Amino acid sequence: MWLHLNFNFGFNSSFVRKSLKKLPLTVASLALIAGFNTVNASQDGLGPKITIPESSGEKCILPSSEMRRQHPDLLKHDRIQTLREGVRAKVDGSQLDGSLKQCVNCHATKDESNKFVRIDNDQHFCVSCHKYAAVSIDCFQCHRDIPEGDGEFHALTNHKDANYGNITPGTSSLTSKDIANVAPEVISDDN
Amino acid sequence: MTINIENEKKDAMTTTVESSRRNFIFGSVAAAGLTVAPGMMLYQTANARSLSEKATSKVRWGMLVDTTKDVDWNKCVDACNTEHGLGNESKSRNDQKTQYIRVVDVKNKGTGYSMSLPVMCQHCEKPPCVDVCPTGASMKRPDGIVLVDRHRCIGCRYCMMACPYKARSFVHEVLSDQKENTPRGKGCVESCNMCVNRIDNGQEPACVEASDGAIVFGDLNNPESAISKILAKHGGKQIRADLKLNPGVHYQGI
Repeated sequence: MWLHLNFNFGFNSSFVRKSLKKLPLTVASLALIAGFNTVNASQDGLGPKITIPESSGEKCILPSSEMRRQHPDLLKHDRIQTLREGVRAKVDGSQLDGSLKQCVNCHATKDESNKFVRIDNDQHFCVSCHKYAAVSIDCFQCHRDIPEGDGEFHALTNHKDANYGNITPGTSSLTSKDIANVAPEVISDDN
Repeated sequence: MTINIENEKKDAMTTTVESSRRNFIFGSVAAAGLTVAPGMMLYQTANARSLSEKATSKVRWGMLVDTTKDVDWNKCVDACNTEHGLGNESKSRNDQKTQYIRVVDVKNKGTGYSMSLPVMCQHCEKPPCVDVCPTGASMKRPDGIVLVDRHRCIGCRYCMMACPYKARSFVHEVLSDQKENTPRGKGCVESCNMCVNRIDNGQEPACVEASDGAIVFGDLNNPESAISKILAKHGGKQIRADLKLNPGVHYQGI
């Protein structure tokens, strides 16, 4: 659109007058498009951005990059060990790498009312990423999705005061309603 | 690759942890079977297994139910429900709801004598439910505990048909708020697992704890265990022993 404006500027034609008349609207819509882009695309390019909730533990069993790839294998390996063979811990007594219970205890997220969010909530740690990746998991049809009790009795659940009440642009949990709240003019700009 | 590294670490640390656990167990045995802490009874006197070791067939877990004792078996059922988070079905009919322990009332019409006994999974040595399972979900651990691997269960309910003790239930509806130690959900068959998570952690099953001594739990393979001694001295009966499944649950007074 800028190209069109520059090209026509010297000709003083009705088209330019018309365009200039429309300039405030053009600038406004450009600003809106720019704003909308921050909602829908990350700065480095492709696709929407995702915000992964913080965990409460000091560190995970593997670096995040490896956990993203390997966590299904770890879970599957240790579930066979635990259920079928009865192995409940590592030799040093610590939790197995693939203990879903421990995953949940560390990665449970709380909402603004300081309650753990359940699996049907987009703020749930597992859901936040799996919804983004469109990979459905059925672990929590059987497994408990939040820590038992208030979670403070667990070894690694010293939760930071994470507040997910204010949805920020770039969060995976944005609904169409949220987007409308961020940039309500976009809808009316179609006229 | 990561898993291999972990195994190497495990080997390096095996000795120290094992010895400390053994000391703990043997040291406490000197206290002659006293309850060490609420809910924690030391029953393992031989073949003690560390949490990091596989279950072995050196041990065979069993239970001995004394029906002559005046015990309200519903206390055991309640303890079981609490332990495993049962009874949270909202849409199922009563006859569909899961029970790990059923209280069965029997009456001799001739004499009028009546009694009741708890019937749970009998943890057979040769479990028919395992024989018929098409996916290997119904399984027996080497230490004699029969349980369902829900990761493999497809909900065909063949095991429910095969079980002569009617011990298994099927979950008919979507569940939420399960206990973290007992994952359970729609489409899977389930039954008493002898509180396998508690046993692995050195505790007795929940029903045993709630039974005021009417149920004895222990290692049937160890002649020195309390359950073996009682069975050797006073005997016990298995339900439908004629089926030759050799259940791990024994009864007295039936």
